Amino acid sequence: MLIFDQLRKDDRSLRTLAMVLLAGMLLLMAGLWNVQVVSSRKHETDLRNQSFRSVRVPGVRGKIFDRNGLVLAENGPRYDINLYLEELPPYFLFEYTNRVLPTYLANNPLPPATNQTGSRFFGLFGSKEPARPKLPLKTRQMLQAQARYGVASNLLLQVSTFLKQPRQLDQAGFLRHYSSSLFVPFPLIKNLEPEKVARFVELAAEFPGVELEVQPVRAYPQGVAAAHLLGFVRRMDNFDSEDINYRYVLPDYTGATGIESAFDDELRGRPGVKSLLVNNLGYRQREDLISPSEPGDNVFLTLDLQLQIATERALASAMPNVRGAAVVVDVRNGDVLAMVSLPTFDPSIYVNGAGSNEWARISDPHLKPQFNRATQAFYSPGSIFKILTSIACLESGLNPSEQFRVEPNPKRAGRGAIAVGNRLIGDTAAPGLYDFEKAFIKSSNSYFIHHGLRAGFKKIIEVGERFHLGERTEIMPRQEAVGIFPEREDEKKWPLGSIANMCIGQEVTVTPIQMAMMTAAVANGGKVFWPRLVMKTQSPDNLGLDAGAVNYPTRLRSDANLRPEHVKLIHRAMQADVESTSSDEDGEGTGKRARIDGYHIGGKTGTAEIKGSGQKDQTTWFTSFAPVENPKYAVVVMVESGGSGGGTCAPVAKQIYEAIIKREKSQDLTKLYSGN
Amino acid sequence: MTNSLHLNERYQRVDWTLMVAVVLLMLIGGAFIYSATLADPVMRDASFFKQLHVKQVIWYSLGVAAAVGVCFLPYHAFARWSVVAYWGAILLLVLVMVPGIGVSRLGARRWIDFGPFSLQPSEFAKLAYIMLMANFLSRPVEELRQPKVFFKALGMMALPFVLILKEPDLGSALSFFPVGLVMMFVAGVPLKFLARLVGGVAILVILLLVDILFAPPQWQVKLEEYQRHRLLTYFGRDFTPKDATPEERRRARELQHSKSYNVEQSLISVGSGGLTGKGWKQGTQYALGYLPRAVAHNDFIFSVIAEEKGFVGSVIVVTLYTVVFFCGIRTAGQSRDRLGRVMASGVVTLLFVHVFINIGMNIRLMPVTGIPLPLLSYGGSSVLCALLAVGLLFNIYYYRRAY
Repeated sequence: MLIFDQLRKDDRSLRTLAMVLLAGMLLLMAGLWNVQVVSSRKHETDLRNQSFRSVRVPGVRGKIFDRNGLVLAENGPRYDINLYLEELPPYFLFEYTNRVLPTYLANNPLPPATNQTGSRFFGLFGSKEPARPKLPLKTRQMLQAQARYGVASNLLLQVSTFLKQPRQLDQAGFLRHYSSSLFVPFPLIKNLEPEKVARFVELAAEFPGVELEVQPVRAYPQGVAAAHLLGFVRRMDNFDSEDINYRYVLPDYTGATGIESAFDDELRGRPGVKSLLVNNLGYRQREDLISPSEPGDNVFLTLDLQLQIATERALASAMPNVRGAAVVVDVRNGDVLAMVSLPTFDPSIYVNGAGSNEWARISDPHLKPQFNRATQAFYSPGSIFKILTSIACLESGLNPSEQFRVEPNPKRAGRGAIAVGNRLIGDTAAPGLYDFEKAFIKSSNSYFIHHGLRAGFKKIIEVGERFHLGERTEIMPRQEAVGIFPEREDEKKWPLGSIANMCIGQEVTVTPIQMAMMTAAVANGGKVFWPRLVMKTQSPDNLGLDAGAVNYPTRLRSDANLRPEHVKLIHRAMQADVESTSSDEDGEGTGKRARIDGYHIGGKTGTAEIKGSGQKDQTTWFTSFAPVENPKYAVVVMVESGGSGGGTCAPVAKQIYEAIIKREKSQDLTKLYSGN
Repeated sequence: MTNSLHLNERYQRVDWTLMVAVVLLMLIGGAFIYSATLADPVMRDASFFKQLHVKQVIWYSLGVAAAVGVCFLPYHAFARWSVVAYWGAILLLVLVMVPGIGVSRLGARRWIDFGPFSLQPSEFAKLAYIMLMANFLSRPVEELRQPKVFFKALGMMALPFVLILKEPDLGSALSFFPVGLVMMFVAGVPLKFLARLVGGVAILVILLLVDILFAPPQWQVKLEEYQRHRLLTYFGRDFTPKDATPEERRRARELQHSKSYNVEQSLISVGSGGLTGKGWKQGTQYALGYLPRAVAHNDFIFSVIAEEKGFVGSVIVVTLYTVVFFCGIRTAGQSRDRLGRVMASGVVTLLFVHVFINIGMNIRLMPVTGIPLPLLSYGGSSVLCALLAVGLLFNIYYYRRAY
C-alpha cells in the first residue's frame, strides 16, 4: 500500500498506530454497513411508523332503489367547518409569548434565575440576550395548552359569530383531539345549514386554518316509506375485523337493521387508506392516498315505491294510531311489491337526531314503531286459517256440496255454535244449512271445526307444512319470526278442544308474510315461492346496465301439490267472499267491503281472539288475491285490536287494490326496471 | 533506526493528497449544512449572514487563512511558544467557568461569547496540549525512561482534562487520553509505563461503569445527571432502581425514551438512508423535526449525510477521513525530527478520536458525548482548530526528509 511503503519497515510504532486507526475506521464501516444496508429496512419501518399516520377512508355507501329506480336511501351532503391545526403554530406561539406567558408571570413572578446566560462582564463578555425565565416543564406545557385553546376558541367564536350562531369550544374535546388526532382536522361546527354555508364561503379566507368540508350522510328521501325494510345505519366503532391497523378512522356507518344490515357488505364497498406525513410534533405535513376507497354497490328492491306509499296510506286509514301490517306480493314469482308496518319511524333520525319526544315514542313498548309487524311479529291467524283447513278437508274427502247443519248457540241468539267435548265454541254465522262455499263466505266456525276434526290433526299439520308454516321465509335474515306451528308428533299433547281451535285459526301463530306467501301459492295454483325483496345489486359505474350486476332471481320453494279442482273451488269461494251480495243465494260474504266493481278479488277475512289479561282483544285479518281469473297480486292486511276482519281490514285491501289498478294503468307494475 | 538513503525524486513541498481530501470534506460540510438549513423554515428565512452554511463557509475561509499563516513559520517556532499557548489555554478554561464570562447553553458552560461569534476554549486547549506534549516529548529518548518525566507528562494531561470535565464536557475531556497516550507511544516512552497506565485506566473505567450500572444509589459516583443517563441509555438500561413502583417505572421508561431519542432518531436517519440515500436536500428526518434542530448540524451532521447519501455517502466520508489520517501518519513517518513526528501523530490521533466517537455515536456504537465531527460539524472553534491542526500537518510535511 502506498502509505505503508512510505513508512520505514522498522518504524514499528507508527505502523502500529496506522493499524489501529485502520482497524477503527473499518469498524466504523462495518457498523455503517450493518445499520445502512443490513438493518436498513427496519429503520425505514421505524421512520414510517413515526412519521406516517394511516387514516381509514370509508367507501361511499351504495344506494337503495325500488324496482323502478326510485331512490329510497342515498347519501346526502353534510357541511362541516373544520380546523386544520397545522396552520396554527405561529398563532399559538404568538398567543403564548404575548398573552398567556406574561399574564402568568404577572401573577406568579419567578425568582431571579441563577444559572443563566445574561450578565456581562465588564461589558465585554457575556451574552447580549435578555435573560429568559426558566419555567418548569409542566407549567410550560399547561400554558402552551392554554394558548392553543385560546387561539382555537377565539377562532370558533369569530367564525360562529360571523355565521350568527355563536358558540363555545369544548375544551376537553379539543385537548383530546390535540393529543391523539392532531394530524386530522378538528371539527369546529358540524352540520351547517345551506344559508350559513353560503355566508361562510364569502369570508372564508379571513380565518386561518378554517375550511368548509362536505361529508356524506345517509339520507332517506322518502321519509317513513319502507322504513322497516330499509332499516337504518349506526355509527361504526369497531374496526378490529379489518387487517390494517389504522391510526385514525373517518366516521363510517354500518347497517343496523333491514336491508342496510342484511346487505351491509355490498352497500359499504371497501375502505381506502390515506397516509399522512407528520412532523415530530404531530402536525400534518403532507397527505398521500395509498389506495382509494371503493364505493358500495347499489341495491335494487322489488318494492314499488308508489304502491308502498299508497299501501301505507291505506293501512293508516284503518283507524287512528293503527298497529298493523300489509303485504303485497306478486303471486307469479314471489316478488314483494309492498310491505308496510305501522306505526313506523323515519330512519333519518339515527343520522340527524330527533327530539326527545320522538325517541320516547320510538321506544314505546305498546306501539313498538321499530318492530316490523309484517315479519317479526306473529299473531293468531283466525279465520283466514280456514283456507288451509279447507284444503285439508277437501283432500280428506270433503264433499263441497254436502250440507252441514250449524246448531244454534244457546247463549247468543242468531249465532251458531258447536260443541267440542264439553265446550261450546261460538260461531259468527247464523244457524242453518251450509255447504262449503256458504260456510266459507260466512266464515262458519262450526262447519270448519266439524270437518277439520274429521280431517284430523295430522292432516292439517301436513298441509301447513306444505305451506311452510312455522318456518322462516328468509325474507330478511335474522330479522324474522316464525310463529308457532305444531309438529305432527304433537298430536297426543293437543286436546280435542285445542285441535278444534286450530281449525279456526286459534292456538297457532303466523306472520303476515307467511300468510302472504300461502295466499300467493293458493292463488297461483300451488307453487310456493321464496319471497323476493332484493332484485339485484349493482356496482355504481354501471347504473342502468346489467353488466356488473349480481341478480337474485326468483326462487321456487316447493310445490304444495294442490289439486286443480280444489284450487278452483277455493278461488270461487274466495271470490264469493268478496263479491257475494245480499241478493245472492248465500248472502253477503264477510269480505264484501273489499269489493271493487269490474275487478275480481278473492279474499278471506279473519278475526282472532286474544285472551289477554282480563281484557278481550282481537287480531283482524284480510287475505286476498286478484284478479281471480288471472291471479297476479296477493294482498294481506293485518290490524291489531281491529273491529273485525271484514270491517277493519277489507276496506284497507280495497284501497290497496285501487292503487294497484291505478299503477297498472300508468305502467306494467311487474315489469323489471330496464334503465330508463 | 537504520536509514536507507534513497533520495525521493518526486519530492513535493505540498501534500496534495491531504489538500484534496480536506477541500472535499469542507465542500461536503458546506453542502450538507446547507441542506439542513434549507429544511428548517425558521432558519431558511433568516438573513444571509445569519444562515448556518454561510457562517460555516466564513469559518472555513478564516481557518484556511490561519492554516496558511501557520505554514509561514517552521513548526519549531510553535513548539517554542507551546508553554505560553498551553497556559493561555488553561487560563481560558478557567475563565469559561466564571459565570459572567462563560456562556451556558443546554446545561453546559463551554463557550465565551464575543457577540457575533463565540469561542470554545476546549478546542484550542487540545491543540495547545498537543504542541506542549510534542515539545516535552521531543527530548532525547533516554530521558523518557525516567518515571518523573512520565508523571510530568501525565500531569500535563490531567490539568486540562479536569478543567474540561468540569464544564462539563465529557467527550472533549476524554479525547485527551488517547492523544497523550499515542504521543507518548510514538515518542518512545517505555512500554511498561504505558501498559501500566492503560491498565490502570481500564480498571478505573470498568469500576466506574459497574458502579453506575449495577450499584445501589448510595454507592454511585457523582456524575452529572445527563451523563449518567447517556451511559445508561447506551447500555440499554432504564433508570429504575430495583424497588420502584409501577408509576416510577413508567416515568423512568419515558425518561429513557426521551434521553435516547436523539440516538434513536439518528439511527433511523442513518438506517433509512439505505444504500444510496434519499438524495441531497431530500432528507426527511431533519425536515420533519424528528432529528432535533439543535443537534442536527453539529453533533449529528453525519446522520444528515448518511440519510441523504446513504451507505455510499457514509463510506466516502469515512474514506476521506482515512486518507487524512494516513497522510498524517505518512507525514509523521517522514518527519525531519522527533518533534514533528510526535506532533503529527498527536494531530492525527486527535482527529481520529473525534471522528470515531462522533460517527460511532451516530450509529450507536458509542455512547452520546457532545464531540464534533472535524470540518463537517457546524461550529467556529471546531473548524478553526481542525484547520489549524491540518495546517500543522502541512507545515511538518513541508520540512520533511527528502529521502
